[in-house]
Amino acid sequence: MAENTDKMVIDGVELVGIWKEFMPSRILYEDVTTEFLDEVKKLPGGSTIAKCYQCGTCTGGCTLPEFVDKFNPRGFINLVRRGHYDILVSDYKDLVWKCVSCNRCTHRCPRGVNTQEVVRAIAKFLEDRKVFGKLTNDEAFDEIFMDEVINDGRIDEVKIVKDFYSKTGRLKDMMSGDQLSLGFKMFTSGRIKLFGGKIKDWKKVSQKLKEELQ
Amino acid sequence: MKTVLVIGGGVTGLKASHELAEMGYNVSLVEKQDYLGGQVAKHKYYKLAPDMRLVSEVLDPVIKNVESNSNIKVHKHSTITALSGNAPEFKVKIKNSKGESEETFGAIVVATGFEHFDPTVKQEYGYSRFKDVVTNAEVEELLNPNGPTKGELKRPSDGKIPKKVAIFQCVGSRDKQVGNPYCCRVGCVVSTKQAIEIKEKYPDTEVYVYYMDMRMFGRGWEELYGKAMEEYEVIFTRGRGAEVTLKNQQLSLRAEETIMDRPIQHSVDMIILAAGQAPGDGTIEAAKILGIKQNEYGYLAPKDDFLSPNESSKAGIFIAGADKGPLDVENCIVEGAAVAAKVASSLK
Ligand SMILES: Cc1cc2nc3c(=O)[nH]c(=O)nc-3n(C[C@H](O)[C@H](O)[C@H](O)COP(=O)(O)OP(=O)(O)OC[C@H]3O[C@@H](n4cnc5c(N)ncnc54)[C@H](O)[C@@H]3O)c2cc1C
Ligand code: SF4
Ligand code: SF4
Ligand code: SF4
Repeated sequence: MAENTDKMVIDGVELVGIWKEFMPSRILYEDVTTEFLDEVKKLPGGSTIAKCYQCGTCTGGCTLPEFVDKFNPRGFINLVRRGHYDILVSDYKDLVWKCVSCNRCTHRCPRGVNTQEVVRAIAKFLEDRKVFGKLTNDEAFDEIFMDEVINDGRIDEVKIVKDFYSKTGRLKDMMSGDQLSLGFKMFTSGRIKLFGGKIKDWKKVSQKLKEELQ
Repeated sequence: MKTVLVIGGGVTGLKASHELAEMGYNVSLVEKQDYLGGQVAKHKYYKLAPDMRLVSEVLDPVIKNVESNSNIKVHKHSTITALSGNAPEFKVKIKNSKGESEETFGAIVVATGFEHFDPTVKQEYGYSRFKDVVTNAEVEELLNPNGPTKGELKRPSDGKIPKKVAIFQCVGSRDKQVGNPYCCRVGCVVSTKQAIEIKEKYPDTEVYVYYMDMRMFGRGWEELYGKAMEEYEVIFTRGRGAEVTLKNQQLSLRAEETIMDRPIQHSVDMIILAAGQAPGDGTIEAAKILGIKQNEYGYLAPKDDFLSPNESSKAGIFIAGADKGPLDVENCIVEGAAVAAKVASSLK
């Protein structure tokens, strides 16, 4: 225990005055850097990030905060710009990609930031650093959907359902009775086909698409 | 040539005319409207920031100096329509309701001022949709005892005095969406002044200012800002207004309270838009007729911002005041005097 001194710091914990109160330090001992700003700027859609003057118009009018607590495009931009990478990852990595691309932010930004694209770029920045780990259902579905469009040029319902369950490690669930009977009903009513047709010469398009997305 | 044409009868043009007349020049002052005083008179400003001085204490003497000086001929309800000749012998056509006449001048001063930005284009603020969203210029008139409401801040929809007022800063300024990326330079101090005026009259009314930065660079402005917080409990919130909607018949604003990292929804009775300044039609029209350069936003461009701030791109034509960019009254008066000195030295 500390003496009756005004202030004392032990292992980053500040002991204050006569009350001998324990107070965890609130100072961010972070090595801030502009490195991440540079990186996001170079990503597709990230180029306008440096125009931001932190007015909050984007967050103020954003569709999401009503449903997704702490979603804050201005805040994301600030964290990247200040180089608060650790906070971005620990507090926001599960949020950034939830943007619904309504573009209200971009239309209203007084500085000409393409906010929606910048938010995407920040999500990509985190994705590139493999911070997401295990995929959520939404993310897994997104990935499968995109892969299928790129590879085949169309969606094969049966394949997408199978891939989805397998990617989320729930193939067993797919074989449950009600799922099978639902599948059967959809098949007999013509809602799904067992084998999706192929699109002629899609390979070439697919190749080009992959190159562009690289 | 000892004759000078001054275009625009706002504070700038009035001050320039008076100083030139005092130095012995014959001045013709051409003013579009049928009154003198420019925007200050048009919107019936009542008090001036930062000293809260009555406008009449400042504007009345400036006007009187002009009207009582026999060297100044005031042409109200008049404009210029054509220019020929060069310095120091310009021939200018002056038009009024009775007809057109041509006069010769040794030099021309352009003091055509600004227009208030029209916030209708900022649709998300609902200026033309919601009656109780008003501009700062409209509030000047409402707060004037000689104005339409005899100085009561009656809200337009039902004439009630609002209990909660929000003020949005930077409306039509610092905004690339509307093509005005520049700062309006007076919006911050004007809003602070209006907030104090409202609190003085209605201590129970709460006033919230939504801002990005409070730009208080003028004489006594920062002190006024402090006073608004300390003595009047005006609440300044860092976050630009994002949108205005109607919820249960009440105005509701959205913004981010950036210090809290959170979007907020705030119900109020009245919203004042601190609309900025834009170059007026009168300025653009005068620039065309006189053939002088404007900058990218339409304001008049000095020959050299540092070295010859009151000279236009054309010899013998001088510029001053808010037609060069947003400016406060105090500095407009300085500009009026400065341009008079420059004209005098060019005509000696
Ligand atoms: C809401 C609001 C409140 C303000 N309050 C304050 C305050 O409290 N304190 C302060 O210091 N400043 C204040 N200002 C700033 C102040 O209004 C300006 O500084 C001042 O009006 C500028 O004076 P001016 O003579 O340059 O231009 P103006 O006042 O615009 O005068 C220009 C004159 O020229 C005339 N004109 C224009 N074109 C022509 C033409 N082609 N031919 C003939 N005549 C023409 C116009 O009719 C007008 O009378 C405020 C501004 C706003 C927007
Ligand atoms: S609206 Fe634009 S400038 Fe304002 S915080 Fe958002 S991105 Fe930045
Ligand atoms: S595009 Fe995304 S960040 Fe922008 S307002 Fe819509 S949901 Fe919010
Ligand atoms: S003076 Fe104030 S209100 Fe006007 S644009 Fe500048 S910061 Fe905004």
